[in-house]
Amino acid sequence: METSDCMSSELMNQTDTAAEIITTPAGLVLPTPGIHITGMNSALKRPPQVTAEAKALLSSTGFVPSWRPSWGKVRTFGLTFPAGIELIPVAPQTPEANEEQSAFKKVEPEKAEDETAEGVKAPAKRTKIRPPQDALSVQDRLFFLLQPPLENWLKGQELIMPFEPFQYQYEGIAWLFSQKAALLADEMGLGKTMQMITSLRLLLRAGQVRRVLLVCPKPLIPNWQREFKTWAEEIPVTTVEGDGFRRNLTWRMPGAHVLLANYEVVVRDYQTMIQEAIKNGHNLKDGLGRRTEVECQTFIDGEPASPQQGGGQAEPPCPLPRFDLVVLDEAQRTKNRDSLTAKTIRSIPRSRSVCLTGTPIENRPEEMSSLFEFMGVIPPGANPDLRQLTSLSREFILRRTKDLVMKDMPPRLDRDEIIELTSAQRIAYDNAEKDGIMRLTEMGDDVSIQNVFELVLRLKQISNYDPLTQESSKLERLHADMEEIAASGGKAILFSQWTKTIDWLEERMRPYGCLVYHGGIPQPKREPILTRFKNDPDSHIILMSYATGAVGLNLQFAGYVFLYDRWWNPAVEDQAINRAHRIGCKSQVIVSKFICKDTIEERIDRVLNEKREIFRRVLGEGDNTNASLSLNANEIFGLFNMKARSAKGTKSIRPEVPKKEAA
Amino acid sequence: MAQAAPKAQLGFLGVVNLSGTGFVGGLLVTNQLGRPLEFQCTTPVKPNRTQEILYGPTLNSFVCAELIGKTLFERLQVKPQVIVSDQPEMLALRTVVALPVCLILPKSNSVSEGMIRAGAHFLKLHSDFPDDFALVGEIAKSFPADADLIEPLERVREALQETLRAGAAA
Repeated sequence: METSDCMSSELMNQTDTAAEIITTPAGLVLPTPGIHITGMNSALKRPPQVTAEAKALLSSTGFVPSWRPSWGKVRTFGLTFPAGIELIPVAPQTPEANEEQSAFKKVEPEKAEDETAEGVKAPAKRTKIRPPQDALSVQDRLFFLLQPPLENWLKGQELIMPFEPFQYQYEGIAWLFSQKAALLADEMGLGKTMQMITSLRLLLRAGQVRRVLLVCPKPLIPNWQREFKTWAEEIPVTTVEGDGFRRNLTWRMPGAHVLLANYEVVVRDYQTMIQEAIKNGHNLKDGLGRRTEVECQTFIDGEPASPQQGGGQAEPPCPLPRFDLVVLDEAQRTKNRDSLTAKTIRSIPRSRSVCLTGTPIENRPEEMSSLFEFMGVIPPGANPDLRQLTSLSREFILRRTKDLVMKDMPPRLDRDEIIELTSAQRIAYDNAEKDGIMRLTEMGDDVSIQNVFELVLRLKQISNYDPLTQESSKLERLHADMEEIAASGGKAILFSQWTKTIDWLEERMRPYGCLVYHGGIPQPKREPILTRFKNDPDSHIILMSYATGAVGLNLQFAGYVFLYDRWWNPAVEDQAINRAHRIGCKSQVIVSKFICKDTIEERIDRVLNEKREIFRRVLGEGDNTNASLSLNANEIFGLFNMKARSAKGTKSIRPEVPKKEAA
Repeated sequence: MAQAAPKAQLGFLGVVNLSGTGFVGGLLVTNQLGRPLEFQCTTPVKPNRTQEILYGPTLNSFVCAELIGKTLFERLQVKPQVIVSDQPEMLALRTVVALPVCLILPKSNSVSEGMIRAGAHFLKLHSDFPDDFALVGEIAKSFPADADLIEPLERVREALQETLRAGAAA
């Protein structure tokens, strides 16, 4: 303290003025060595000595944020696709063909440096397979969504296509592939057969079906065989034919992927098998396993037994041959649901059901019920009303007409050939009509539709030719047309209702290399006739009956069609015409409908045209074949200005097609 | 005698990032003609905010390749010989799986060395695995010249949309 006081006074002394300085000499001198003038101790100049020693913390360190890269488990969902049938490609004929038909094409070498991916043309359109509406599970839907577009699938690597399908055909194939119940009702000539065969190929390849039954009318068996050879040569097709023993073996042959059978054989053989199964105590259900179709009751002590009592614990497997897919060609054959054919067909055990027909409704919308029951989309015995049928049709029917899809197809030119009867024909016709009406009038209330119908047939036959004098104005017109057609190397198909007329015409058409094709021709001889008609340049005309020639044949190389007499239903006439006017026809098809003036033919034609016009208005311009156009009883009576006596005035009396053939 | 055609199995990997849902991936195995053999897909993977911040720009690549791609590949019963994608971030998958991973280059890309032509496309491979070039080159020879490798990826994305729809409906 003392030192600091001195310092203070000294400082004061330095700052005070000189006049006021009072000095006091003192003898006290403090020794202050090492002390800086500022007073800082020089010891501070020494480097500090630092030492460390461990000391425990007084408390915890608190929260320290940290993060480690951890992710939760990724959950997955998977789907494995079934292995399809590996079909052996048909052996190629030549080394060049071998190259072409190898499993897939080799990459083309790069031709130029500037050839980049831009140069590769993208496919114009892709047809995706869409899941059907009844596919509810994700797996089912993904199965369809993950299939490649059809154009990729069918572009000639794995599945060789002889011709590029049309866009609407791709869509039809994709639809058939995805549907478990389907009715393909494309108008005749749009390639239903090809679409079905191609979808079968894909279904077999994709492992969706392994055993298929294709049922068709007997005359169409060779047609299907030929079409399979064209579109799917690698698929072995086994036809169910021969004696009972052989057929029985064929039905149960394990390696047959596609069985082809006609309706009659199916009905006969399945009926036999059903009877045997009943005898052996089997409880048969319908082919989709929905109910007991064939009554077969087990009895215990004379009393009907409950299912638990009868025949043991477990139900034995169905003894009938089972198929993954049953296809009905010309499915309108089963339109009567109570017929033996329809019942038997429904009893075939199957998983998928497909109908093919160009005329799903021939007479009444109710005919659809039978087809829907086969397809399993309505319960057995159900009778959906018109609204329900429309709704079902939207989901399960695919129908396209030529007007809608084949805008660039060569046109079909219809011309009504109004022909005057020859004088002898006119006399014969007038006499027959006068006598006939007189007889009907005499019959009074006893007159039946059948009586009127007989008169109609008689008059139509005279219009074709007079049996007495053999005169025929239609024949004269036909000769004139055929001379021109033969001279130009063309080919014509002539349809008639009667085999008798066809036989009569055959002799007179010999100069044009005439061939005949009707129900009287044995089955094995029919195919060679068609082949000859196609290949023989001297064969210019083939005479066909509506019943045999109207369905399923491909005669698109013929440019002319003659309807020598008219069928009762224009839908059948259209089927006949479409033998020629179908996909593949290169030029226009000229259709000549022979109608004799002032005869019953003219009156029938007028009635049919009026009906056709009504249906065209109702169903739209694009669809005029899918309608009830047959004459009913009132209309038949009306041809002679008579009224139907029966209350059942709306009953159709036109002949069955194609079961019976007029003699 | 004609030489038997080699049978290639290809994996097509696609991941979609849906806002609000997260990443969903699908891996479709097909034969060399595009026919499906197996399909695996994930449920949505949604990174949280911390993951988004800390992974930063590497998030997409990590989630698509290492998380989803690797998981899907491990689940497969039918193993492909090569995995194909059109998403650049998928190339990173090669570092965690033992098979080549190819990136389909956009058609606007100029052709350069190290690319492989496969069908109608050029493929890019991970540069750290030079052996992959020969292997993929051999497989690519079996493709038709106009083979479309993008189309199966469209199927994958459509299938993913379908599973999401089904998931939303359930």
